[in-house]
Amino acid sequence: MNKKEIDMLSVLQSKFEGTSVQVQPEQLGRVAVIADASTHRDVLKAMLEADEKTAVIAITGIDLGATIGVFYHIRTSETGIITIKVEVPKEEPQIKTITDLMPGATFDEMEVNDLVGVVFQGHPSPGRLVLPDNWPDGVYPLRKDAKLDNLQLKPTPPTEPAVNENIVKVIVGPQHPALLEPEKFVLKVEGEIVKDVEPRIGYVHRGIEKAAESRTYLQDVYLVERICGICNACHACCFVESVEKILKTEVPARAKYIRTILLELNRLHSHLLTLGHAGLEIGFETLFQYFWRDREPIMDITELISGNRVISSGMTVGGVRRDINEADIPKIKGMLTDLRKRLPFYKNVYEDEPSIKMRMKNVGTLKREDALKLCIVGPTARGSGVDIDVRKDEPYEAYGEIPFKLITYNEGDTWARMNVRMDEVEESINIIEYALDNLPAGPFRVRVPRVVIAGEAVNRVEAPRGELFYYLKSNGTAYPDRVKVRTPTFANIPAFLATAIGSSIADVPPNFVSLDPCFSCTDR
Amino acid sequence: VLDFWLFLRVLVFPGFTFILFLTLFCDWVERKIEARMQSRVGPAVAGPAGILQPLADFIKLLTKEEIIPRDAKKNVFRIAPLIAFSVMVFAICFLPIDGSSAISSGGFVGDLIFVMALVTVANFLLFMSGWASANPYGDIGAARVLTQFLGYDIPLFLLALAPAFLAGSLTISIIAANQYLPFFVLAPWGFVLFIVALQAELEKDPFDIPHADSEVVGGLETEYCGGKLAFLHLTRDVQIVLGAALVVELFLGGPYGPVFFGLPAFWYSLWFVLKLLVVVMITEYVTCLFARMRIDQVLTANWRVLLPLSVLSLALTITMATYVYPMVM
Repeated sequence: MNKKEIDMLSVLQSKFEGTSVQVQPEQLGRVAVIADASTHRDVLKAMLEADEKTAVIAITGIDLGATIGVFYHIRTSETGIITIKVEVPKEEPQIKTITDLMPGATFDEMEVNDLVGVVFQGHPSPGRLVLPDNWPDGVYPLRKDAKLDNLQLKPTPPTEPAVNENIVKVIVGPQHPALLEPEKFVLKVEGEIVKDVEPRIGYVHRGIEKAAESRTYLQDVYLVERICGICNACHACCFVESVEKILKTEVPARAKYIRTILLELNRLHSHLLTLGHAGLEIGFETLFQYFWRDREPIMDITELISGNRVISSGMTVGGVRRDINEADIPKIKGMLTDLRKRLPFYKNVYEDEPSIKMRMKNVGTLKREDALKLCIVGPTARGSGVDIDVRKDEPYEAYGEIPFKLITYNEGDTWARMNVRMDEVEESINIIEYALDNLPAGPFRVRVPRVVIAGEAVNRVEAPRGELFYYLKSNGTAYPDRVKVRTPTFANIPAFLATAIGSSIADVPPNFVSLDPCFSCTDR
Repeated sequence: VLDFWLFLRVLVFPGFTFILFLTLFCDWVERKIEARMQSRVGPAVAGPAGILQPLADFIKLLTKEEIIPRDAKKNVFRIAPLIAFSVMVFAICFLPIDGSSAISSGGFVGDLIFVMALVTVANFLLFMSGWASANPYGDIGAARVLTQFLGYDIPLFLLALAPAFLAGSLTISIIAANQYLPFFVLAPWGFVLFIVALQAELEKDPFDIPHADSEVVGGLETEYCGGKLAFLHLTRDVQIVLGAALVVELFLGGPYGPVFFGLPAFWYSLWFVLKLLVVVMITEYVTCLFARMRIDQVLTANWRVLLPLSVLSLALTITMATYVYPMVM
């Protein structure tokens, strides 16, 4: 257990000694705090006072039979997730909002409200987030007793007319050239200045969290892999790690290294894609074509290792599905060396090219305090000088044994965020090369039982876009009881909302793409 | 009585048909250059090395269904792209291509101003076509065309005056014929600035604000489809040919060059096309090198940088033409 975590533990234990709040160090493999609807805010306050990096990772709403559980998963300093468990009655599920303490939890609360039906008192913008507008009231899909056959959809409410004549609504999406995936953002524009942004997500909501409950753990690995095309290995890895935590399975060392390689290939693929796509958004087509050309070898390497170009399907509970062929290693390293040779040129373009600087410098600047308050993750946070990276903070797989640098920039603008990614590409290549050089011998998987003992686990991995979080609850059968997924884009959308307001409308696309948004992740 | 030769010159060579095929050819060259710059292949299927691709695209669009939005101003929506295209072609007809222009052999006094005015009219018609389509993106795109054009028309015109001073005439054919030393040698500052202003006028990167698809979707073309879209695309391509042809006439010595044997008209057309391709290559090269600027950055660049520079350039040209060059030559 990390030193900082003990600190937080003792803070909580001394503060809440003799009250109704129970601090349990050994639940979930992590710390859990059992609170109730009147004390959960005090716990969070105490944690915020003790540590500036405290952030809400996710809020899980869960049907516990007689009651509804609202679990606040809190990230503390450099390690550890502390879960505040609150139960509210099923008949009248109400709890006070925490958005005034932690503005980053706004969307999480809206989602729990949509899917489980918990009302957050005092929430600044109550309303639908992931469910469609015509979804019937009182039907909460993630409750166990929800009847989803024969839904009586209600008529779609008409859009409100504009109140102010000077404000023009520019609707970006669900279909728009700046967005690769369907999602809607209504920009309220006065002249060329954005005054307000109304997000509306959920256009590609596939109910994967619900679907996962009716499939076996092994089937779920392939299901969660399809939450996102680009970071598929991250989703699969995070899920199998959660299962392994409940089962207390020790994964063979070789499997850990192969998983690390697959995860880093995901990161390379994703970063190169975004770096190119940013070029497209600012009308720099040449840059886009160059980056996407160099993305091809990464997909070829994924194919060499896993047999598939995109969805690698490499992870399985207890290890990986395929071993790396020793004869392929020189080929892989050759392709990585070719890519590495091109990097100085790209780095130079992103750092010094005048038209890129004109479009990206001082665009969408997110200050460090705001990034912390809004619970921003991944390269977006690192671009604002927040040094969080799960690979460093809580090393999983082989990351603890592989040396690499944590990249941060302090500017906080679009330029910084893209340069974080640019530098991380090189680090990823280093990691893969190191892993290939030091690949341990031995088995690449162990057999695990198909029925998982009852238990709970929280787990997180660093996906290309930031921290990916899974909460898994098993009930002793072959089917999980609850799978909660919090994807990095879901956490990063508040950063876009905060930085877009007050900016020019032409700055919206580069600002937005610098978060590397992935809506199929966001919606699940 | 219709003059048969005039009829032939206007309709076939160097008039409409020639300009049409030159436009499609230039489009192909542009696409090929851009593709090679971006390490792609570019058009490769239709015809040898894909040379027929622009024609195929044009014909394909002509066969598509024509949809007119309910709220559009229908007549303007229908005819504005056609007239814009005709005006552009009409303007090219005044440029000497095979030694003389399609319409009159020697041009007339002040036809430089006339051609520049036609370009303005054509751009205004493009604005009308976007404005008539009753679509917010079309409106924004059209407004951006006009904003940008108003900004860059003035420097472009000022810069076009420099060669006129050097040649001592406002007639394009005389300006072209008087270049014993091409004017890009005598006034390189004017040449460079003219290319920059032209880049903005042609709405190419880094000034392709009206086509910023991540901001304004299709710009003024958003609601267009079928034959009308085909003509909008063609208008844009003809505009590029016209812009490049102006550079050829004003700075690169027009169609004139060495005649080796046979008809001078053949050699002149050949030189003209080759020079034109050089200009197209330059603009395409610049396009591939830059990201798109923001509209406020474009306007600032225009009023604070390009306009003062073009005035300075004109002053410098006049000084050189009056005091320096007579002593040297």
